[in-house]
Amino acid sequence: MLQSWSARYLDGVSAHAVAVTLTPAAHGLDIRRADGGVVVWPYADISQTQGHYPGEQVRLERGVELLVVDDTAILSQLHKVAPRVSRRFHDPKWRVHRPALVAGALVAAIALGAGIYFWAIPAVAVFVAEQIPVAWEEELGRVVTDTLTDSKSTCQDQAVTRAVDDIVARLAAGVSDNPYTFRVSVIQKDVVNAFAAPGGHMVVFSGLLRRTDRPEELAGVLAHEMSHVLRRHGTKALFRDVSTSIFLSAIIGDAGGAMGVVLESAKTLGNLHYSRQAENEADTEGRRMLIAARIDPAGLVSFFEKLEKKDLKIDKDFLKYLSSHPLTEERIARLKPQPGAARVTYAPLPMAAIWKTLATACDPEEPD
Amino acid sequence: MSTPKPSVSPSGVQYASFRGSGGTLFGISIVNLLLIVVTLGIYSFWGKAKVRRYLYSQTEFSGDRFAYHGTGKELFIGALKAFGLIIVFYAVFFAITRFVSLGVAIAFIYVGIAAVIPLALYGSMRYAMSRTSWRGIRFSFRGALGECYKQFLGGVLLTVITLGVYAPFFHVKMRTYWMNNTYFGNTPFGYAGRGKDLVWHFLLAVLLTIPTLYLYWLWYAARQARYDWTRTRFAAARFGCTFTGGGLLWLAVSNLLLLIVTLGFAFPWVLIRNIRYTLEHTGLHGPVAWDKVVADARAPKVGATGEGLADALDVGVAF
Repeated sequence: MLQSWSARYLDGVSAHAVAVTLTPAAHGLDIRRADGGVVVWPYADISQTQGHYPGEQVRLERGVELLVVDDTAILSQLHKVAPRVSRRFHDPKWRVHRPALVAGALVAAIALGAGIYFWAIPAVAVFVAEQIPVAWEEELGRVVTDTLTDSKSTCQDQAVTRAVDDIVARLAAGVSDNPYTFRVSVIQKDVVNAFAAPGGHMVVFSGLLRRTDRPEELAGVLAHEMSHVLRRHGTKALFRDVSTSIFLSAIIGDAGGAMGVVLESAKTLGNLHYSRQAENEADTEGRRMLIAARIDPAGLVSFFEKLEKKDLKIDKDFLKYLSSHPLTEERIARLKPQPGAARVTYAPLPMAAIWKTLATACDPEEPD
Repeated sequence: MSTPKPSVSPSGVQYASFRGSGGTLFGISIVNLLLIVVTLGIYSFWGKAKVRRYLYSQTEFSGDRFAYHGTGKELFIGALKAFGLIIVFYAVFFAITRFVSLGVAIAFIYVGIAAVIPLALYGSMRYAMSRTSWRGIRFSFRGALGECYKQFLGGVLLTVITLGVYAPFFHVKMRTYWMNNTYFGNTPFGYAGRGKDLVWHFLLAVLLTIPTLYLYWLWYAARQARYDWTRTRFAAARFGCTFTGGGLLWLAVSNLLLLIVTLGFAFPWVLIRNIRYTLEHTGLHGPVAWDKVVADARAPKVGATGEGLADALDVGVAF
């Protein structure tokens, strides 16, 4: 006995619906009008466009014509009477599995998303950043430094420039296969900070220079920044940041704004992690560079110690310098020579005698 | 779960109602999310089509559901074409910075965006209407692109010159253009508004911006929606709207709280609450002889490039 369902037929031309009776049969869908006329739709011509979710009517289309059925049981009947062609129709019996499917999808999406986010993207970004030519890095770095190092705020003091260039040259001489041309600009601004742009252009603020007591301390900071350049930390961070942003925006586009905020803060936390890792690497590498150049690495340590003392007083400038950096205490512990290590004799830097003058030569005329 | 309002109220006003559930939409979104992650974002277009299909299918008017006829594939192709256009745009921008000057390049950006926005709005409106149907009959938008440029660029210019006072007139002009060129089958919608009816309310809203910490704009938005829908008609019927500032404020605040408490996971419920509020407060007054409405073969064939462009520029036509 074949079952029948009442449905509404729309011809796709008029908005007037006609009541019909549908009977799913093996050869196709029988459509009987109230006046007794029968039309058969072969299953291969029919597509189901609605009725996959609870509360939806079943909508069957053939070209512009369509049938609307309220009762989803017609779908189950289709699967019963025409099992070979019924794959094109939704089967309501699958609906009970949906909660499990959604739960599984949620777990899989989080696991996979985290895997891509924390492992795959950083790995690919680092790989790509290591492949790009130095000339491209220089171009990248110029974008950052051009706006900062305009001639107005750059310190033009000849003695300082010569001293800084001399230290950089000594440090660079100890690096084998160095593809970078290191350059330093001292910016007249009372900020305790220094940074390295991709490609080798470094910026030291006069506030940092003024707080150094010996040339070895500045050499320590420069060695640290040069290590950032050599290890391509900036370039890697940029690639990582851009690719995670693209990945996040692809997901957020679907997930809505508030979830975006959560994912964005995950990104910030991730960045801080990578940043601390890079700082540790630059500390270790910088120390090695100082030793290779026969410059006393104690300068780097004593500068950090000075910063830490100020840290206790919660100096605003200093907090700025430290955000996204490891704890100063930790860094000092790591940088101090291990007990029992071979004693190395260091050549004192020649500009030590006039350092007091050099350190303050670039101070801004009016402190802001 | 609130029970949907009956589609015909005792007063003879007909309302559309939304029959879907947040839980189902959440399920669809989570499966979409997984597929988006697996495909590194490519699936998002298919996911978007799936969500739209669900939302349209669950929206009922006078016993029948709406239908969305768009596909993920066409959205993807539309986005690719829009992306291509944006790449060309950037290439020209960088070429100008390199060989001419930065000033000229920035001017080019402004002119370029001004030239592209009307095209994007027009394209997305045409796309949205052509992919929507009810009772087997498609909607369509048949406005002229030139008219869109004229209205939009003229309106922006006048709004800037008048320091914003022209904004409500601009709004009315654009809505007139959108509505008067929108058809259901062979029957057009119509809108007859006048900017001067809104302008004093608009200026009051400007004055009250700071004292009310921007909140008064919700009251203005409600007033504008009521004004607009009352003057929008279809065949012999007209629309009505009962938005209130308080209603919009409560909707916004409660949605925000829901999102905060659930770390954003309530987004499907928030979307549905917005849809419900809109549908429950927008009704069709008066009878429509639906038998007279027939599909129109003149409805234009439309691709999804404009939709992709509007998506990329984050602009859209909202009613």
